[in-house]
Amino acid sequence: MKYQLVSGLETHVELATKTKIFCGCTTAFGGEPNTHCCPVCTGQPGALPILNKKVVEYAIRAGLATHCTINTTTHLDRKNYCYPDLPKAYQISQFDKPLCEHGYVELESGKRIGITRIHIEEDAGKLVHESGYTLIDYNRGGVPLIEIVSEPDISSPEEAKEYVEKLQLIMRYIGVSDCKMQEGSMRCDVNISVMPEGSKEFGTRTEIKNMNSISYIDKAMRYEYERQCEVLNDGGKIVQATLRYDEKTGETSVMRTKEDAQDYRYFPEPDILTVVIPESKVEEIKSQLPELPLEKLNRYIDELKINPATARLLYKYKKVCDFVEKVISLGASVKNAVNLTTGVLYSKLPTEEDKENFALPVTAEETAKLIKLADEGKINITLAQQTLSKMAEEGNPVSAYIKEEDLAGVDDSELEEICKQAIENNPAAAADFKGGKEKAIFALYGFVKKATQGKADIKKADAILKKLILG
Amino acid sequence: MSISQKEIQTLARLSRLEFSEEEQEKFIPDFEEIIAFADRINGEVVGDTSSIKEVAARTIAWEDLREDEVTDSLPNEKITSNVEAQDGYFPVRRVVK
Repeated sequence: MKYQLVSGLETHVELATKTKIFCGCTTAFGGEPNTHCCPVCTGQPGALPILNKKVVEYAIRAGLATHCTINTTTHLDRKNYCYPDLPKAYQISQFDKPLCEHGYVELESGKRIGITRIHIEEDAGKLVHESGYTLIDYNRGGVPLIEIVSEPDISSPEEAKEYVEKLQLIMRYIGVSDCKMQEGSMRCDVNISVMPEGSKEFGTRTEIKNMNSISYIDKAMRYEYERQCEVLNDGGKIVQATLRYDEKTGETSVMRTKEDAQDYRYFPEPDILTVVIPESKVEEIKSQLPELPLEKLNRYIDELKINPATARLLYKYKKVCDFVEKVISLGASVKNAVNLTTGVLYSKLPTEEDKENFALPVTAEETAKLIKLADEGKINITLAQQTLSKMAEEGNPVSAYIKEEDLAGVDDSELEEICKQAIENNPAAAADFKGGKEKAIFALYGFVKKATQGKADIKKADAILKKLILG
Repeated sequence: MSISQKEIQTLARLSRLEFSEEEQEKFIPDFEEIIAFADRINGEVVGDTSSIKEVAARTIAWEDLREDEVTDSLPNEKITSNVEAQDGYFPVRRVVK
């Protein structure tokens, strides 16, 4: 029998606040063990947590950017479980009144993946397992997280991948998290079940915990889908369980089954009062939301007329977009601004992270100056590319490479003279062109380029050459 | 309300505590007494509990939330002063197999 995959994701995103969720300790990554700690985040008796305003603000921002409704009256709850990564033996989280509910993330196909809820909570400490003992570092304990729970709307590994990428992009755009999966600032639990194709009734689900890369999510989902199909086709039953994914073997294995499922005994957190958020605050946060990724992509394609493939190369990187948009706003043509960025500058930014950080010593102002020279035909595009390449490496302004007097150099009469020389020096090419071999004219372009050191406007030269040859 | 021995065992497991059969049985009347006491608060004695709900409904205003400003953490020696720290870490018995 053929089975349909049904999946929902729980995504933890670390918020980029300066301080922890309930105390003023820094959230800086790393640091010597247990040096970003205080009585509150190590759960000392009598210490009282005070909720960080920025955490609420960022979570609302995340909620609005994913089309959620905001619960302006919200409270925190205690989730009890006993494990040494939690010094208090409970995690302060949200249970029945999450800050955000009922949103969605739209995929490029137009399909919407529902967001059930987004709630705020504290991260746990880090455990280092040695032989015979475990070491605990509570620096990460109390770092603010949002947990984004999706509806079981995902029906393929491709959709899961796109959903995670879109979520990552949205969170980066709105500046609430860097979402670095390899550093753990974004991680996913994947719920998977299968049902006969066409069925409406979900099967028993399993949950794969703590996935920290998109490619592992993809592989784990494929593996688990196949495994479940096989069990059912062999007449077996799926056992509800929490699984871990082994990156080395590519297989899932059972962590715990439903029988020993956790009983969290949630109850309202008595140390933190119910938070009442003014409607005006929500409106203010909404009005400050930047353009979201999908809106930007559509604007690039529809309004700026950038071809879809190129627009996709750009919109993933917020800083690149800011740069290109600035270059365009300074008067450079969209076409050259986009092509030089994705051509010349991207060749200097080989990794995703390089593009994400976009740390080249070239300014939008100087790039715009250079591109305008190309737009106006004062330099040809090859020279523009070479110059931008040097600018991006050396950090010098355009004037370090192209002098004013060079630009004025090729006036129309001079260009005509050079074109004449080009024909005289390449009689065969000129004759071939006249005889219908269109490509023969490239030899003449080459001569003109060389003679003018790349400063001639080839469009103009083309017109002159054709006039001279064809009469 | 009656409490079963199984419920006592569940609570013990969740609290990471171990009790003998006899101890478990001894807890049953204790727990029943505790629950009966809570039931009394729930209405029998207090009656009108609206004043309690009022306390539960106390709220914190937006302005009173904490600003996102870093304050000093405690030095490692102080945070770990109740344990024999190992390279600055809290050591515990190995928790994974």
